[in-house]
Amino acid sequence: MTALLHWLTFLLSIIFIPVLTLGTIRKTKARLQNRIGPPICQPIYDLVKLARKGETISSTMSGLFRLSSLFVFADILVLAWLTPWLCFKPWAPHSNIFMVVYLFAFARMFTLLGSLDSGSAFGAFSASREATLSLLVEPAVLLALVALGIFFGSSDLRVIFSHTTNQTFIGSAIWIAAGLAIFFSSLVELSRMPVDDPTTHLELTMIHEAMILEASGRNLALIEFAHALKMSIFFGLASQCFLRAFPQFSTFNVYSQSGLNIVGILGLALFVGLLESLIVKLQWRKVPEFIAYILSLSLIASLAAIGAGVIK
Amino acid sequence: MATFEILAVLLGFLALALFLGHRKHLKPAIPASLTFLASLTAMASLILTWGHNFHWQTQAPFLLGVFPLTFEVDGLTRLYLLLLSTLICAVSVFSPGYISHIAAKTHAGQYWFCFWLFIVSMYAVVSSADAITFLVVWELMSLASIALVATDHSHQSVQKSAFIYLGATRVASAFLAGGFLWMHSVTGSWSFHDWRFDVESTYIPAFLILIGFCIKSGIWPFHIWLPYAHPSAPASVSAIMSGFMIKVSVYALIRILVFGALNSLWIIAIAFALAVISTFWGVLFALVQNDLKKLLAYSSIENIGLVVMAIALSLYARAHSLPTIADLAIIAAVFHSWNHGLLKCLLFLSTGAVDAQAHTRDLRSLGGLAKRMPWTMAFFFTGSFAICSIPPLNGFSSKWLLYESFFQNILLSPTAIEKGLSLAVICLLSAVGALAIAVFVKAMGVGFLGVARSKTAQRAQEAGLGVLVAQAALVILCVASGANSEFVSRLIAQSLTSSGLKVSYTISNGLPTGTVAILLSILAASIYVIFLKTSKVTRYRTWDCGFGSLTEKTQVSADSFAQPLARIFRPFLRYQNSAKFEGADRRHFPEEVTVETQIISILEKRVYLPALALFGGLAKLLSRLQAGSIHLYLLYVCATLCLLLILGMTL
Repeated sequence: MTALLHWLTFLLSIIFIPVLTLGTIRKTKARLQNRIGPPICQPIYDLVKLARKGETISSTMSGLFRLSSLFVFADILVLAWLTPWLCFKPWAPHSNIFMVVYLFAFARMFTLLGSLDSGSAFGAFSASREATLSLLVEPAVLLALVALGIFFGSSDLRVIFSHTTNQTFIGSAIWIAAGLAIFFSSLVELSRMPVDDPTTHLELTMIHEAMILEASGRNLALIEFAHALKMSIFFGLASQCFLRAFPQFSTFNVYSQSGLNIVGILGLALFVGLLESLIVKLQWRKVPEFIAYILSLSLIASLAAIGAGVIK
Repeated sequence: MATFEILAVLLGFLALALFLGHRKHLKPAIPASLTFLASLTAMASLILTWGHNFHWQTQAPFLLGVFPLTFEVDGLTRLYLLLLSTLICAVSVFSPGYISHIAAKTHAGQYWFCFWLFIVSMYAVVSSADAITFLVVWELMSLASIALVATDHSHQSVQKSAFIYLGATRVASAFLAGGFLWMHSVTGSWSFHDWRFDVESTYIPAFLILIGFCIKSGIWPFHIWLPYAHPSAPASVSAIMSGFMIKVSVYALIRILVFGALNSLWIIAIAFALAVISTFWGVLFALVQNDLKKLLAYSSIENIGLVVMAIALSLYARAHSLPTIADLAIIAAVFHSWNHGLLKCLLFLSTGAVDAQAHTRDLRSLGGLAKRMPWTMAFFFTGSFAICSIPPLNGFSSKWLLYESFFQNILLSPTAIEKGLSLAVICLLSAVGALAIAVFVKAMGVGFLGVARSKTAQRAQEAGLGVLVAQAALVILCVASGANSEFVSRLIAQSLTSSGLKVSYTISNGLPTGTVAILLSILAASIYVIFLKTSKVTRYRTWDCGFGSLTEKTQVSADSFAQPLARIFRPFLRYQNSAKFEGADRRHFPEEVTVETQIISILEKRVYLPALALFGGLAKLLSRLQAGSIHLYLLYVCATLCLLLILGMTL
């Protein structure tokens, strides 16, 4: 019975947390622009509307295009089940750091292929940009997770994110550094400011939005939802990193942990909304520099973890 | 029993080869089906005798001088022989549909003769148990493969490739012969079993052997022959060459150096450094290639680098008594060479199918094959996903073992330097992984998707049944060994143990690749049926900003897709991109736009060509001795005689 309840809550959070995250970002931006903005649940209405529409796809496209969004969606769902982005979850197998990173790569590869299928240069050049960014950001994400893995002596994310003995100062520092690295890399991975502006609608400079330019209807609904879910996964991991930096966090019971975690995710969404209102998009050539900072953050975290291990 | 069967099969091959070798025209179905049957028999006998080791040596009349030829089949050998048999099965099913494409340019009898010689010698190399036997069959393998590379020798480029490859194999054999002779003088034995590399006197031969195998497997900086040889050879040959022949060197490295417990830190460090550079170098140069086969060849360099990296890590860990890491790394090495064998064979076969149908392998004139060759596309895509180590396919399983062994090395190794180094390698591996994704997305996206960039690509049709079946079989194997990675890892550990190297697979909670595979397919299928299938689809043209219809020229090109990445790595690639705009009002309405991309191979230009020039100069100096004058020669004879007499008197 409890197992069933767990599954049910998990399903509900998979559906609603992404929607709320996206809604929070939009609402924050709207409020900062002195607009009332759409209701916070607007993304779900958008998805329903998209699901009721028909699809228009390019006559150049092969069957791959529709399959690609399907696989991206399925893959992100599997990831949502494998990664401990929520403090509670139903039974899941061993969630290995490297596997998680490469499952994200799976989704990325299908997105890239989908954008190349139409023969449109918009999609293709954004794919090229995405491939470039992913080269730079993938080591950063991996190293941030590896830093935590080294500190806790395991490559299983579930072991890392359910650790209870974390009382040292250096432990907190590593959690925070890793959390920052994951959060900032997520901005790159999810094509948000300052790397890419998801609301410009200028195909020549966009990354993610230009890749999905040809998608419409249900296809687009799948992609949009997968993207929002991916955002929640990243924010969930990052917010847990920040929360676990406080030694008291691990002593709370699972309900307050989950509550704090969700508040953390929405807090990060609020922060992203703030960021997108206040700063401008980086010039394309400056982006590698930005990612280099993230990478050095992860490197510092990993080296600190190694150092902590040596001292121990 | 098995040895007898294998022998019978091999002799049968030879007899057939001699019988059919002189025919210029040959129905490819006959030799191909014979090859298929033979490799199937070999596979069956290998599986039926699972767990038994065999030792066999030639009897009195069939000696090599005074030495018997010695062969041995044990666990490790069996794994590699099974891979070879699998690949040959696939290639022989593939061949009839493909050979017709190159039939006009080749001498069928010669082709099959060399092909069989190549196969037989590869079986023999892997199962040879002493150095003399090894060298003999190794040479046979090299020469046969050179002849196969030169199949289409009417082209000058093919001649050049064959010569470069010939040179590489000569140098490799020289290093190996030197190392083997030296080892014999140290240990007094030719048998690999007696060779131990744990004393200082054996370090130099170990180094020579390492370099010899590095040359043959295409490790940086000896890799330059690979991107020449693979594009020149027919697809069926390059599939075997890249799929198996370069793994023969890996196998030999494991058999000789790992089983011989090499413990010189310097040699291990050199092997490791070369492997690390190869992985990076290979994938970086693959990124800027436009010939599909060249791209695959560079990707082979990357993957062989990964395997050698695992071997080096295993040697290091064993020398420092960290058995868990040593075991993980050696399993990773064997598993990855297996996986890469399957994958590369698959990718080369798909490329061959494209080449045969679209008459080009150049990404600049491909495109739009998705609708015309959907099956080939599906197979090529699966192979590409696997080689980018995307779970749940097999490429990931072995790369994960490698990652995991470096991760364990961070946790367990005693000093901070090694921990830091392992961290750096993990970072590099993930960057290489991301680059590989860019490489293969370029190959897939530009090669198969979009609109056809040339007339020939437009007329392409789906390949024949045999060609597709061969690829499908390999795809199934890739998926199966990926989903059952745990099982395969245990199998490899068991085989290594039965060959005499104690290896145990100690990971308690392994990869859930099987679960992920099942879950992914169930989710995708159900969402498709529930959600996507019922959706109403309208076809319309691609979004063009309202400027009118898009042509094949307005698509992304292979060069432009890779350009942002190539720019980042300009210093390594020597990447130059120049654009010229001509015309009266050239800023807004250029009449002619020329864009040129150039990549210079520094290694070839700065190292190999000068070295060759030096050699040529020396040879010219020496050739003065051979003046063609009988008087001079008589003088040489006289001088030699005198010298010998004086030597004889003084000694």
